[in-house]
Amino acid sequence: MSEKIYSWLLRLFPSHFRQSYGEDALQLFRDRARDETGFLPAVRLWFDLLFDLVISLPREYFHAQPELVSVSAQRAHGTPSFYILGDESPRPGALLFGAVLASCALVTFSGLLSHGGHSRRFRASAQQQRAALSPSTVRTAPTSPGGEESDSLGSGENAAIASASQLDATIGPPQQSDQHLRGDSRSIAFERSSPEARDTGALSRAPALLPGDALNPSAPDNTSRQAEGNAPLTALPSAALDAAERHRIVSAAAAILVKYYVDPVAAQKTADALLSDEKRGDDNPASDGMAFAELLTKQMREVSHDNYLSMVYSAAKTPPLPPHPPRPSPEELARYREVMEQSNCRFESVKILPHNIGYLKFNAFPDPSVCGAAARASMASLNRVDAIIFDLRDNGGGYASMVALLAAYLFDHPVHLNDFYDRGENSTEESWSLPPVPGNKLVDKPAYVLTSSATFSAAEAFSYDLRMLNRVTLVGETTSGRGHMGSPHQIDEHFTIRVPGIKVINPVSKTNWEGTGVAPDVRVDSADALQTAETLALTRLHKK
Amino acid sequence: MPKRKLDPLPAAAFQILLALAGEDLHGYGIMRQVADQTDGRLRLGPGTLYSSIQTLLEAKLIEELAPREDAKLGQERRRYYRLTTAGRRLARCEADRLADLLRVARTRKILRGDYV
Repeated sequence: MSEKIYSWLLRLFPSHFRQSYGEDALQLFRDRARDETGFLPAVRLWFDLLFDLVISLPREYFHAQPELVSVSAQRAHGTPSFYILGDESPRPGALLFGAVLASCALVTFSGLLSHGGHSRRFRASAQQQRAALSPSTVRTAPTSPGGEESDSLGSGENAAIASASQLDATIGPPQQSDQHLRGDSRSIAFERSSPEARDTGALSRAPALLPGDALNPSAPDNTSRQAEGNAPLTALPSAALDAAERHRIVSAAAAILVKYYVDPVAAQKTADALLSDEKRGDDNPASDGMAFAELLTKQMREVSHDNYLSMVYSAAKTPPLPPHPPRPSPEELARYREVMEQSNCRFESVKILPHNIGYLKFNAFPDPSVCGAAARASMASLNRVDAIIFDLRDNGGGYASMVALLAAYLFDHPVHLNDFYDRGENSTEESWSLPPVPGNKLVDKPAYVLTSSATFSAAEAFSYDLRMLNRVTLVGETTSGRGHMGSPHQIDEHFTIRVPGIKVINPVSKTNWEGTGVAPDVRVDSADALQTAETLALTRLHKK
Repeated sequence: MPKRKLDPLPAAAFQILLALAGEDLHGYGIMRQVADQTDGRLRLGPGTLYSSIQTLLEAKLIEELAPREDAKLGQERRRYYRLTTAGRRLARCEADRLADLLRVARTRKILRGDYV
């Protein structure tokens, strides 16, 4: 028994010591235990052993050198031998250092992901996404991180908003599920744009579960981005291109631009530039697909100054986009519901501040069919406040239908929030707030919206539309500036061009916040926005 | 990481050198010999003993002999250690140094009586 205890204590020694002398030490213990019998000698033996442990353990760890153990030292000279590293177990200090270093690396990595990589995740087409799930891989043309990010997010989100609004307004129950799908992808895109979003991981996985998104003409952005995110794992070679191939792609891209790009003048200019660049031979150095897609993206952005225009190359062949997106599977819907429920539908904080000022911080505009109850409960809990503050500083956007649901609490009649104009279809969809909520007491209460430079997409729509209706005061920073939505257009199995084809048009201003962002009424650092809004609300309440 | 040092020579290492001055011994033999020569005041624990032995081996002050049994202690094979010439020289130097110290102590009348 006591030998077992001592052999266990011996494990405290570094492995090199145990290997060399562990057996000898045990033997010595056995010898002493055998020779020193009786109570007092046994006590002395254990006192010696413990004292010895205290003295020699630190010495073994601090002075033992992780030296190169020379095998040859014990072998005959001239015999080939290796130097090996002593396999000493790491010291506690080294373990701690390793843990700290690993944490730093993790934080850095996730920081890089959230700043440089998030938009890309959603970039590849849906089919590409599916391809990415299979062993085959996808590569897309890299573009400038910032532009690409906002681009992809914006287009995906906007498209999502558009589709959602259309669905909400016009489509009956059968299409509802499609809407969910689009909504999913869109809301996810929004959330990814929010730097503070903590559950992006969970949410970002959602689109992968929603192949329907990819098939939706408006949503494929998201999936394509995802596939792009997988690109580093993939290593398909970029196919070589000849002049005829390049001409075919440039011509197709120019035609798509002219037909779909929201700004007809810029569309023509950009298309002309692409064609003339090609004629001049600027494209000749780009001999493979990846480089060519990058070059075209650069050429388009130089002329249009629109960082949401991009050409995407996929080394893997992508099947054609189907005309109608498939519906999400029940599992996909269940997963979205689960993610939303876990995060309280992204309603981060609902509370009543001093002086009976209501405060609602939410970081997305999730699908009302899943989160409508949570949204209504949040608003109901603030029904008796004297003023309300909507905190959208970390809100990455989501469903236009959620914008319509929340806006309903601020009006006693449905209001026209905005229109979605689709240039390719030459169609306009109107988005209205939902009918007034029975028992709602917030209609005439002062309302404030906190914004930051991270406020994105649907959150910008909420801010802008309500501001145009003179219903809220905006406090904080100018928002991101995404008022267009893009959709991918497939040129062939490898090249896809993403073109902002849908724009939000506000019925009051007849324009939107694309590129400029939504300017606040009271400009303060976003960190100070809440305090400022509270002061404003208090001043106003006192005046009454 | 620093190597263990033998300068100044640690008490345990010196005692081990002295223990091996008489005969080749295994670990337990060294431990008992050291206990004997210090009137039981220094009982080397396994950790101290074997880390000192390792240091002395690395400094080539002692050498390891082929394992063999100790008839008095049963069938187990044990590693024996022997003092090298360098080890003997170092032990002598250390003894001289202590003797010098002792002389100084005597002249300073620190020691009572003349039994040392």
